[in-house]
Amino acid sequence: MNQLTTENFDRNARAALGDAQLRGALRNLAVTFGTRRKSAIATVDDWEGLRDRARAIKDETLARLDVYLAEFAENAEKAGARVHWARDGREACDIFLRLLKEREATRVVKAKSMVSEEIHLNAVLEKAGIFPDETDLGEWIIQLAGETPSHIVVPAIHKTKAQIADLFTEKVGIEKTDDVDALTKTARRVLRERFARADVGISGANFAVAETGTFLVLENEGNIRLTTSLPKTHIALIGIEKIIPKFADLDVFLKLLPRSGTGQRLTTYQSLITGTKRSADGEGPDELHIILLDNGRSRMLAHPTTRQSLACIRCGACLNACPVYQAIGGHAYGSVYPGPIGAVITPQLVGIEKAKQLPYASSLCGACREVCPVKIDIPELLLHLRAAIAEGEKEPVRRRTSEKLAFKAYAFAWSRPVVYKLGTKISRLLQKFVAKGDKIGKQNGLLAKLAPPLGAWTAWRDAPTVAPRSFREIWKDELEKKD
Amino acid sequence: MSTDEAKNAIFDSIRRNLAASRPFDAVHCESHEPAAPPPTPPRAAFSNELLIENFRDNFEFVGGKLRVVADEPAAAAALLAIIKEIKAEKIAVSDAPLVESVTGSLKNEAEFVENAPREFLFESDLGITSAQWAIAETGTLVLESDAERHRLTSLVPPVHICLLEAKNLRQTLGEVLELLQKNPSRAVTFITGASRTSDIELTLAIGVHGPGEVYVILISDFGFRISDLEAGDGP
Ligand code: SF4
Repeated sequence: MNQLTTENFDRNARAALGDAQLRGALRNLAVTFGTRRKSAIATVDDWEGLRDRARAIKDETLARLDVYLAEFAENAEKAGARVHWARDGREACDIFLRLLKEREATRVVKAKSMVSEEIHLNAVLEKAGIFPDETDLGEWIIQLAGETPSHIVVPAIHKTKAQIADLFTEKVGIEKTDDVDALTKTARRVLRERFARADVGISGANFAVAETGTFLVLENEGNIRLTTSLPKTHIALIGIEKIIPKFADLDVFLKLLPRSGTGQRLTTYQSLITGTKRSADGEGPDELHIILLDNGRSRMLAHPTTRQSLACIRCGACLNACPVYQAIGGHAYGSVYPGPIGAVITPQLVGIEKAKQLPYASSLCGACREVCPVKIDIPELLLHLRAAIAEGEKEPVRRRTSEKLAFKAYAFAWSRPVVYKLGTKISRLLQKFVAKGDKIGKQNGLLAKLAPPLGAWTAWRDAPTVAPRSFREIWKDELEKKD
Repeated sequence: MSTDEAKNAIFDSIRRNLAASRPFDAVHCESHEPAAPPPTPPRAAFSNELLIENFRDNFEFVGGKLRVVADEPAAAAALLAIIKEIKAEKIAVSDAPLVESVTGSLKNEAEFVENAPREFLFESDLGITSAQWAIAETGTLVLESDAERHRLTSLVPPVHICLLEAKNLRQTLGEVLELLQKNPSRAVTFITGASRTSDIELTLAIGVHGPGEVYVILISDFGFRISDLEAGDGP
């Protein structure tokens, strides 16, 4: 098991910086997902409008979270689900243990779920003698290796296929191969047996719809569908921030999430699950348990700046776009959630004392804010947390209004006019350069040669979004005209 | 520890923290322009021909294989051709009426099992379902459990064939969500192409846990020049 903790961030980061293979993998991630994301968002007419709609829906939900949460629970129960409530990770694990014990379940299959990582569910189950099988290919690799995910969407991004081949040879006894298809087929073969005999399937959820009591799981592999269809019992662990009010709101989020995360227009599968069987011979599990988890989330509601954290749909785009993440990878953060979003939610989840270094693990370049599908102002959040640390606070959100106001001005000045203005100027300059490169590149493939050093950067700049004149400049002109 | 106690504590915490946020909310509004959600763009009307073309483009973009036929007998012929091509012997079928009527004439060609037990499913070569809806803009099939037992048949076998009636095609995701929202089935499954993963060095691998191949046999009974669409149709 990796002994990584947030306290050791500096040391971990330095070690990661020396790891050339890791940096290669991360550059590949940034370029590949960056390019795919760009072409996927080009298929939406009004990407900016879509982001605004998504954020407005999230803001509305969070402002009345009690109402929507109650509505979701009521409708899910009406449809036959059993809803449980957990204040923290321990309570959630206790509920899992109780449900598994009552069913004498020992064979458990798991679909990839970051929130289950957050509560360290696997470790708790293992202590009780239950060894759940992770079934997502990346998660399975990580589990076999005894590691933790280094990315919230592609958990094994830090591993090479040679390392994975060695791992499979050692743990599953296959002949060594570095053929990705053969490695994938191995996972299919081994895990099918586990699916066939599993008593319980555990999943997370991407969205939970208050209006209908439906929750959704998105995936590409099909392991989540198997996990939620084959075993007699399905337990879904859902953070209370996953709620959205209306079924129709899914239109917005299903357009945003796959495009931002993996650069797909839709992931291969969306499973929309509403309660349990409606007739005795119906397909699927006999029972559905939903565990709604707080674990520090409700605390984040206490301030509009921290509240934004709960709008996150865990797409991973901010990780892929972040120059710091690209340089050090996920493990250096030492937290369950790495990258920009990890740097802002970890101190709020585990307590600022234990994650003091994370809010400083950023150059405030604003790339995360630019790609975030729900427009979370991560730089603002980082500054908010830094200020809380500077003031020696344990609770980042409980500051007095006067101090708050003083800081507000500082944060605003920092995160917007200076950094943002500078950022757009630089990216505009770069854009000119890259546009030229593009023309040349078309003729003799020069751009392809330019790709390694510049690639990670250009892949994440959305050319059309940087207007020749920035909104800020135009706005200023408009104001002057009025004067 | 009772879960009711936990529930009350969570609601209490949500309300308390939201109340604590109120004075900050006012300040925050001044520095953050509230995102005025723009209205949803109007919906364009599409001809059937255009719908099918869009579906074809997007379904093939995700690796799907489309056959367009005029009626059910032609669908059965297209189905048989695929069964022969992939040498399917054990075939799991859903309980949809369309599947029943199209496969009816093929019963001697292979072993067809409806409502297949797990053992059969895990050994089967092919799963056949219909679909309640399809989304042209993404090439997506939408299956509702209340209409059809589809969850395992469309998932466990290595190949999935979907029989789709042209009248069930819609252009956008939004249209289909509207159709589903009144009373969503216990399980609604959206399928866009074959099972895939990029978990090893971001290299694409097909057919990791679900089907590696997805076919759609689209039954379109309106006057439509099939030959136009069939041009360039690969295996
Ligand atoms: S903060 Fe935004 S970009 Fe980052 S994972 Fe969450 S939704 Fe995605």
